[in-house]
Amino acid sequence: MKKFFKLYSNCIKIAVAGAMAYRLNFLLTTLLATILNALFPLVTILIYNAGASFPAWDFYEVLLVQGIFLLTSSLAYLVFDGVLWTTMYHIREGTFEVALLKPLSPLVFFISTTFTPEIFGGVVAGGVLFTVAVSFTGVASALAIVQFLLLFIAGFCTMAGLCMMMAATTFKWVGNSRIPEIYDSVMTFGKYPATIFPQVIRGVTAFAIPVAMIGFFPASALLGRIDTAAFFAVIACVLFMFLGIWLYNKMIKLYEGVGG
Amino acid sequence: MNYIKRKFDICKTVAWVTIKEYIAYRTHMLVSLFVGPVYFAVQYFIWGAIYGSGGEIAGIEYAQMIRYFGITALIGYLTWGSADWNLSMLIRTGKFLTFALRPIHHRFFAMSQKAGHRSLALFMEFLPCAAILMLVFNISLFPAHFGWFALSVILASVIHFFIAYCIGLFSFWVVRTDGLRLVYRLFDSIFAGFLIPLVFFPKWMQLIQFFLPFQYTAYVPAMVFLGEYKLGGYELTIPAIVGIQALAALVMFLISQLMYKAAIKRFAAVGA
Repeated sequence: MKKFFKLYSNCIKIAVAGAMAYRLNFLLTTLLATILNALFPLVTILIYNAGASFPAWDFYEVLLVQGIFLLTSSLAYLVFDGVLWTTMYHIREGTFEVALLKPLSPLVFFISTTFTPEIFGGVVAGGVLFTVAVSFTGVASALAIVQFLLLFIAGFCTMAGLCMMMAATTFKWVGNSRIPEIYDSVMTFGKYPATIFPQVIRGVTAFAIPVAMIGFFPASALLGRIDTAAFFAVIACVLFMFLGIWLYNKMIKLYEGVGG
Repeated sequence: MNYIKRKFDICKTVAWVTIKEYIAYRTHMLVSLFVGPVYFAVQYFIWGAIYGSGGEIAGIEYAQMIRYFGITALIGYLTWGSADWNLSMLIRTGKFLTFALRPIHHRFFAMSQKAGHRSLALFMEFLPCAAILMLVFNISLFPAHFGWFALSVILASVIHFFIAYCIGLFSFWVVRTDGLRLVYRLFDSIFAGFLIPLVFFPKWMQLIQFFLPFQYTAYVPAMVFLGEYKLGGYELTIPAIVGIQALAALVMFLISQLMYKAAIKRFAAVGA
């Protein structure tokens, strides 16, 4: 583990140095990403401006859900997004041997070497939305902060699992650049308070594909509205991440080395 | 007459070749059969919760809102295109030279490609997704005026093509248009009306939309489908708004023509 963190910190330094070689491009990309991501709650703003609302949720509470969603997903993409695109590229080109010949697991190799600093803009935007929302909603208690942190990490695990499943899918579905759309569409359920969805969808998004953990549950914890079911969902999130790791390693066996 | 027939034959040939090319990647299109209904399901539940017991929001009733989101999702399948990316790639790699040497305008070639690609999408995305939305969500997807709606969708697809082509033409000046295309996609998704009906925007922003091309690619055909058009405090008849849409298509054509003439002078044919 120590070896991994040393390797990872070195790779981050290289990725940042690489981005800094074209620092104007990096700064502009990051600035653009920040602005684009800051528009994430636009629909919510327009809905509330029109005098409508999500039942039992005021504007800043919904903003909190969406700020946490953006923060968690951006942090996860910072670490794992490159795994999907690099895996897809190597499978399509038939050059995945580059990873197979390394003296460490291909998944660890790709996680280490594909840190994407350009996604930092999403983290900044998510942080700003989160801060603004919390400044209006407040925090229920000190315990709520502890619960929030636990659920936030669980949400990160869900995102990690999703990213690895996306990457794993590319072994079977070679060169399909629309794979992320499939996962993004499912993630959309996590962008809104789960209470507005029917019971079946709430169950699925809490335990089967736990996208409710990416925004809704951590926000509920901060607001002091947490349901005990959320803590059981933490187990689902951890299992989901391990399922992603298992699936990726399993799918490597499908690699045929001929491109496609 | 011979000129038109020749053009039509070229368009048909290019479109058919494009269909054969993309049918090899049919599973890419079939992704829409999952993604489209899932996105729609989210909207269905969100607006169901917001409307609660009924009423109107921004002058739109719940049933209208659901039909709006259903039809905008479907219109997207008929108007989507990647002319910006294709043209940008051709210019960056220098491959545009092969098109400059051909006896037809590249814009006509690209538009014929789009005609083929979207014809395939009609059968592989539009119709199956429409069937899913009607059967699963029980919404009516029959337009108020079929003829006007069909014309409006064709014009929307043409306008979308010209906008994308103009974005692609910027590659003659800036080589990498990734950032520009990203901004365009964002503006398109917001101001075309895919995220939310434009009547939810502040009035001054609604008025600006008359002078931007985005609303003509989704909002206008969606409102023609619903049978009433209103924006910025104005209510227009269906023939009037489709007429304005046709004018927007003409303006976009002229802009693309002017840009093409200015851009081609910069072409060095060596890539970058």
